[in-house]
Amino acid sequence: MKRTRLETGILYGLSVLIALYSILPFVWVFMTALKSPEQIYNMNQIIPTYITLDNFKQVLFQSNFVRYFLNSAYISVIVTVVSMVFAVMAAYGFCRYHIHGADSLKMGILFTRMFPGVLLSIPYYVIMKKVGLIDTHAGLIVINCSFVLPFAVWNMCTFFLQIPWEIEESALIDGCNRFQAFMKVIFPLAKPGISATTLYCFLMSWDEFMYANTFINSTLKKTVQVGIRDYIGEYSTDWGPLMAAVILSLVPVIVFFIFVQDSLVGGLSAGAVKG
Amino acid sequence: MKQSKKKRSKEYTFRKNLNGYLLIAPAVIAILVLSVYPLLQGIWISFLNYDMTKANAADFGTFAGLKNYMVIFANSKYRNAVMNSVVWTLVNIVAQLALAIGVALVLNEHLKGRGFFRTAALLPWAIPAAISALTFSALYDTKIGVFNTILIRLGILKEGYSFLGNVESAMPAVIIANVWKSTPFLMIFILAALQGVSYDQYESSAIDGAGKIQRFLYITLPNIKEPMAVAVILNVISIFNNFNAIWLLTQGGPLDSTEIMYTYAYRQAFVDHKFGYAAATSVVIFAVIAILTIIYVKMISLDRD
Repeated sequence: MKRTRLETGILYGLSVLIALYSILPFVWVFMTALKSPEQIYNMNQIIPTYITLDNFKQVLFQSNFVRYFLNSAYISVIVTVVSMVFAVMAAYGFCRYHIHGADSLKMGILFTRMFPGVLLSIPYYVIMKKVGLIDTHAGLIVINCSFVLPFAVWNMCTFFLQIPWEIEESALIDGCNRFQAFMKVIFPLAKPGISATTLYCFLMSWDEFMYANTFINSTLKKTVQVGIRDYIGEYSTDWGPLMAAVILSLVPVIVFFIFVQDSLVGGLSAGAVKG
Repeated sequence: MKQSKKKRSKEYTFRKNLNGYLLIAPAVIAILVLSVYPLLQGIWISFLNYDMTKANAADFGTFAGLKNYMVIFANSKYRNAVMNSVVWTLVNIVAQLALAIGVALVLNEHLKGRGFFRTAALLPWAIPAAISALTFSALYDTKIGVFNTILIRLGILKEGYSFLGNVESAMPAVIIANVWKSTPFLMIFILAALQGVSYDQYESSAIDGAGKIQRFLYITLPNIKEPMAVAVILNVISIFNNFNAIWLLTQGGPLDSTEIMYTYAYRQAFVDHKFGYAAATSVVIFAVIAILTIIYVKMISLDRD
């Protein structure tokens, strides 16, 4: 199909428009983060005439932001490690052994991902109150596993299905035991899938807001998604620091994005479209 | 005789696969404990007298039958939330689907810098929901928001308009914010499906003299129909289940104009502390999700066979 010059021009125009639509809100957030309070309230300063790093300094050195950031990181790392270890084990079990009712079991696991969090949050509250896990990171870690783990199992199963398992068999014949065969032959092949799923798990936990907002009461235990709202007061909002905190909280997200964006289009949709 | 042999072979396959069962056990047990048990418990609570503000009352925790359901169904706020949920879900999915198809068609064309455009288009999807909500509350703000700034500078408005604070504009405003955030997810699926449409089909249609619109209707659309349907169902589930996009912008207000079932259930649970009512509302949400999920599972199972 040949395009006319006009058509190519229109396509470029539309592509640029799409990019602007996605990026401009953040450009504006970033610009706001670089403004002084007077500039933020000045209508003639959509693009700032001079910039200041005061907001970033305030967020990093004069607020609890770093603490919140570390809380989130700590929770997300543990959730991710636990979920991934369980998920890789389970996916291997599902792929390489004959499990009675495996298909229904996998569908059941998929189903749990759709459970509305608000329905679960009520018994979570009752149970956690009983065992003293309210307002603890341990409680939040357990709860976050409830939605990260099913995702990880399902995604790893999809990736493992694409692996040519015959090569494991030949490694077994060559005298490896099953664990060695997995580590030496399968793991390198599965690595892209494992790393993409790992990053995604981390992000799911990092992004979580509702449970953290509900079950954590102590200021210093807040996660970044909840704590960032400290700058929003009842009557006024500290827009400069808030926007700076937004930018800083996106650092892990951007790192994630750079790592996996190549495999995103194929990888993630495959897991949801094919059983 | 035959049966015992069969039994023995069953036992044999079980023993041969014992390691497999051991490998899936931790994940399966964890999911049972973390998701399935709380789900059942939540459903159970919906049938109990469970008002946390009256935790010392004599009937607290006793069986209430369908009382919680009767109370919420009779409540006009609940019915308002149901209506808002329908509007919220339908407008969101229609707008997102139209936009996603358009964007995917553009980004599927061979252009220089396509990688950059795709990455940019995916960006809103990668942003945490809490952060995109904050971003939009800044964009919509009466004093500093860029929308108001532009409208005032163009002379269309005299003073800042509160997009999120007015009953007429709050729902459109939260929907726009959510469309921005959620469309890329749908777009990924459609783009992946478009990549599966073979070039030959387009070639032969071009020879047959089919126009652009015909080509889209008769070649592209039938080819991407199934993955698109799956993606739509998945998206409807996540729109219906959405909490952050509304709670973080309006908390269901003003005057309940953006209150959907999900935020209503949350409010009953953790603002009003009426767990029984909250559980009953949540069970209704769960029923809707369950139906959608069954359709989804059927679709992807068919696809596999």
